[in-house]
Amino acid sequence: MTHQIELENVEKHYGSFHALKTVNLAIPKGQFVALVGPSGCGKSTLLRSIAGLERITSGDLRIEGERVNDLPPRKRDLAMVFQSYALYPHMSVQDNLTYALRLKGVSKAERAKKAEEVAAIIGLENLLDRRPKALSGGQRQRVAMGRAIIRNPRAFLFDEPLSNLDAGLRVRMRKEVRALHDRLGATSVYVTHDQIEAMTMADHVVVMRLGVIEQQGAPLELYERPANRFVAGFIGSPAMNFVPGTMADDGASVVLDLEGAPTLPTAIKAEPGRRVDVGLRPEHLTIGAPGRAGSATVEIAAVESTGSSCFLFADGDPELIITTDGSTNVKAGDQVGLTITPERIHLFDPESEMALRSGE
Amino acid sequence: MTRVNANRVMLVIAIVLAALYLFPLYWMYVTSLKTNSSIFAVPPEFLPGEPQWENYATIWDVANIPRFIWNSLVIATGVTVITGIVGAGAAYVLARYRNGWIDAALFTVLMLQVLPPSLMVTPIFVGFAWIGLLDFPRFAAILAISAKTMPFFVILCRAAFMTIPRELEEAALVDGNSRAGAFFMIVLPLARNGILISALLVFMQGFGEYVYSASIIADNRLQPASIGMTNFLQPNVVNWNAIMAFAATYVTPILAAFVLLQRQIVNGLTAGALK
Repeated sequence: MTHQIELENVEKHYGSFHALKTVNLAIPKGQFVALVGPSGCGKSTLLRSIAGLERITSGDLRIEGERVNDLPPRKRDLAMVFQSYALYPHMSVQDNLTYALRLKGVSKAERAKKAEEVAAIIGLENLLDRRPKALSGGQRQRVAMGRAIIRNPRAFLFDEPLSNLDAGLRVRMRKEVRALHDRLGATSVYVTHDQIEAMTMADHVVVMRLGVIEQQGAPLELYERPANRFVAGFIGSPAMNFVPGTMADDGASVVLDLEGAPTLPTAIKAEPGRRVDVGLRPEHLTIGAPGRAGSATVEIAAVESTGSSCFLFADGDPELIITTDGSTNVKAGDQVGLTITPERIHLFDPESEMALRSGE
Repeated sequence: MTRVNANRVMLVIAIVLAALYLFPLYWMYVTSLKTNSSIFAVPPEFLPGEPQWENYATIWDVANIPRFIWNSLVIATGVTVITGIVGAGAAYVLARYRNGWIDAALFTVLMLQVLPPSLMVTPIFVGFAWIGLLDFPRFAAILAISAKTMPFFVILCRAAFMTIPRELEEAALVDGNSRAGAFFMIVLPLARNGILISALLVFMQGFGEYVYSASIIADNRLQPASIGMTNFLQPNVVNWNAIMAFAATYVTPILAAFVLLQRQIVNGLTAGALK
């Protein structure tokens, strides 16, 4: 099967800086892929390499099966939406929308018709004569989207397109961008530093760090089966807690380094006494009365309530975050018991930081 | 001292300074309208008793003013075209790339700005003579003056290009432009104001240039107005009212352009400085 976009062993160096390290990624037609990671992880470089704005140092980059390593951006037939929107300030909205068509030699009448169509899709019918300067942030964002969809390109590339919008608009545009993707049957690559954006919008999430793809897969797969400690901590909000522990004498359960030393059965077999890091998602911890058998006891240092849910910060080394429902009456200074569901814990090797799974 | 009084003092200082600066200009206009005897009158006449308007008519014919002004225009236009085309390209590259070589180039450009024409004119003259450029004296002068105006133009234009976000160009590349297409269709229109103002300043420099023209252009018929004016300076007689009338004819159009465009010129010069 030919993929819409395919990267094979792609490397990118800037002088001595190694920006992309052996990146392999295959994007089928119609898929929405999110590239996510902390700043400087190479996600934007990867997107710009696909667009042709950066030359890859080695490896192969194919679009619809055609090797495009040496093609300039204009011959790749991809559309890109920039974080700053990059609207041409000296052109009207209509000229901005139809610029690519003009370069292709489409007639003026045809261009005007296309602009009307696209303006109807993105809801900018009355603004075609305006200059970008006279538009609000949300409207500019729509023009940038319109400029991409008018071309009917082989794929859409998004470089953090929503990060300049306010929170409410961002949530709405998230849904709209995804709906547009589905309606056009497009292939999209979406760069973001916001894991919630990636999780909610994408079919396939690619987590990157320091130029390396740490893990890729469906959003829930990354959440439920993170390949390593970095992905586990990056996906999910608030971030996963990590508590050191020791494998018990039976080699199958783990004793956590918490007050009360709770012992949890695990799915792995390991030699007794082996040190492991145990990942506990805040939303998988439940609180109860302190001192019950099998539960840990912690002291709550701070409580943050958002109304819908409540974050409890427990003192200690390491600090723990617990998510409860919004109606909790726990206060700072309280001692609480922590119950941990054994099926929901994640085990990591403290040295390699890789996940420990049964049969591995 | 109150605020109002402080402002008044500042205003007086400003007026005095402006008067000092503008006095030579005023003296040029006044002298051009005087008779030969009233020029040397003691005490000096600050207003001409009987304005000698015919001074202008006389020098217009006698001094070949149309020919000199035409030569100045040809030289200024040539300088502006060459500086504009070569300089805009250089400024764009210097604005878009960042590395050690570019820094070295920028430093060199700034250094060239410092060298006075009177220092450069001898090597340029010898070089031009050697390759036979002196057979085309006006063109040779244009080249020499362009070399002088280039650093100034490149620095100003670079500032104009730096204000244009790179992403606009990248958007154009993805939209289907080539590098050159993106430069001409996106970057150049956006930097237009800065480039035009810089070009205007270069034009004025070329229009008033003296040192290179005087050294390179020997033929009287090809000399610009800046040199034509000196023909009135003779060993024994100096025809002051004629020189001043010539000078007034020469600089009034430039002054008018400056006054009309001064707001744009100042904006163009500070573009990129504040943001």
